[in-house]
Amino acid sequence: MPSFFYEKTENKMKKDYTGTIKSIKNIALNTFEMKIESKLKNAHSGQFISILCPNKTLRRPFSISDFDEETKILTILFKLKGEGTQYLKNLNTGDKIKFLGPNGNRFSLENKNCLLVGAGIGIAPMLFLKKELNKEGINNYLISGFKENNEVIQGSDENIIGGSVLDNLEKLIKEKNIDLIYSCGPTIVLKKIAQLAKDLKIKSYVAMEKTMACSIGVCRGCVIRLHKDNGIVYGSVCQDGPVFKGSEVVWD
Amino acid sequence: MGLENLKTTLLNSKNDKSLILKTPIIGASGTYGYVDEYESFIDLNCLGAISTKGITLEKRPGNSGDRIFEVQGGMINRIGLENVGIQTFLLEKLPKLKQKNIDFLLNIAGSTTEDYERLAAIANEYEIKALEVNVSCPNVKQGCLEFGLNPNALFELTKKIRKNYDGFLIVKLSPNTQDIKPLATAVEQAGADCISAINTLRGLGVDVNYVGNKFIKKTVQGGLSGSCIKPVALYMISQIKQVVKIPVIAMGGITKFQDLLEFLAVGADAFQIGTANFIDPGICTNLAQELSEFMTKNNFKDFNELKGAIQND
Repeated sequence: MPSFFYEKTENKMKKDYTGTIKSIKNIALNTFEMKIESKLKNAHSGQFISILCPNKTLRRPFSISDFDEETKILTILFKLKGEGTQYLKNLNTGDKIKFLGPNGNRFSLENKNCLLVGAGIGIAPMLFLKKELNKEGINNYLISGFKENNEVIQGSDENIIGGSVLDNLEKLIKEKNIDLIYSCGPTIVLKKIAQLAKDLKIKSYVAMEKTMACSIGVCRGCVIRLHKDNGIVYGSVCQDGPVFKGSEVVWD
Repeated sequence: MGLENLKTTLLNSKNDKSLILKTPIIGASGTYGYVDEYESFIDLNCLGAISTKGITLEKRPGNSGDRIFEVQGGMINRIGLENVGIQTFLLEKLPKLKQKNIDFLLNIAGSTTEDYERLAAIANEYEIKALEVNVSCPNVKQGCLEFGLNPNALFELTKKIRKNYDGFLIVKLSPNTQDIKPLATAVEQAGADCISAINTLRGLGVDVNYVGNKFIKKTVQGGLSGSCIKPVALYMISQIKQVVKIPVIAMGGITKFQDLLEFLAVGADAFQIGTANFIDPGICTNLAQELSEFMTKNNFKDFNELKGAIQND
């Protein structure tokens, strides 16, 4: 099967943008979809923007869940968590926000039988990835897990509600002849997915999350440990990631 | 950009060593990487200088675990001096800085006196114009801050660095001390040309949540920075200025134009901007622009005149 691979750091140019809110919608319990119009020219799944929240020192990173190449409108999904998301929630159509992006690397698209696993709000980059895979005609199946019925974010091929998205994953992989897993969600879920992929001898890519300061690869605040050349190095989630191979992450 | 009126010279009148700055606004160490990372955001030539990430003799991986914790008005970091080491800096980073003609301060840190001596000698050999000595990092186990909190040790260390380095020598002081005055005096007497202050304050970030009948706790101990430390920085600068004649580069919580005036009022000769770069990558050039416009509008012909006016009014 032929495969193609995008270099991790394809998009190095990072910019400071002022965006206009085109819409903000409550799509599930405490969950919002925000569409932002700006001069941002391109974005890919896995990449994120870091939004400036007034009176907060640190920008808040959000995975890009869609980017419309024609209208240049980007979409993010967020779940209410603290002051940053509360600020976003209270914005209205027409309001301006400042953000940096697109930051970080992207998911590499590989022509395999792909399983996409989204855990909770981790579905955001998976939706964008699914769109990119579809565009390339690559087989994919998106399964997402949510705690409750009212928390479900639409767009997956299958939703697991209540239980763990990890249950029956092995069965699904075998049934669908999966040979590549992409995932985003809590670290504990990503760890288990990387382990499962390793056990089944298939490849996995995970999009990680970590508190960031600069969000552009300068301060080295958001590092995680990675296996490299028989040793361990620190990689920044904001620049070296957020997408890593499941096998290269040191899972503590 | 029309920032000509911001040109300023930091001068040590004891030995006539000086550092000419295009503007008095300098990007602080640790917030600008090795400098070229910010190119896609701002015109680096509009900055007075940039202080590099703290460089050690050998490369350092930095600390494991969480390195960042946000607090009201600032943040705590415990990066742990992750850096590429002096050799890689000289090989990979220095040529870029030279090629792009970016003015910088080489920020150095060590665990032993010998580390600092060797780094100073290397900086001298490579004719690096300005050295900022970090004796105030609160986030590494050995060295660094141990020198920075003891006036005698700091005097001896500065003297040894001075012996090996002919350029413009800046020592960055820590606020984590009972009295900063003896430290400032020690640095001046040992032959430093300039003081920069303050480094971060020791702080502890605590996160406690009650989940499922259990308290989940997380703590991050490191250096506190951001607008919340400004009053401490202003106090420290005013203290330092009482006892030394060499110029002082002030930093600590600068996020807006008014802050620059406040630091000038307590005797600052130039500024460094740190954490605010994370909020706005363009802040250094924006502040320079605002300062320049303020001076033009109010008929201050150069930065020295403005400084004099604030300090004497």
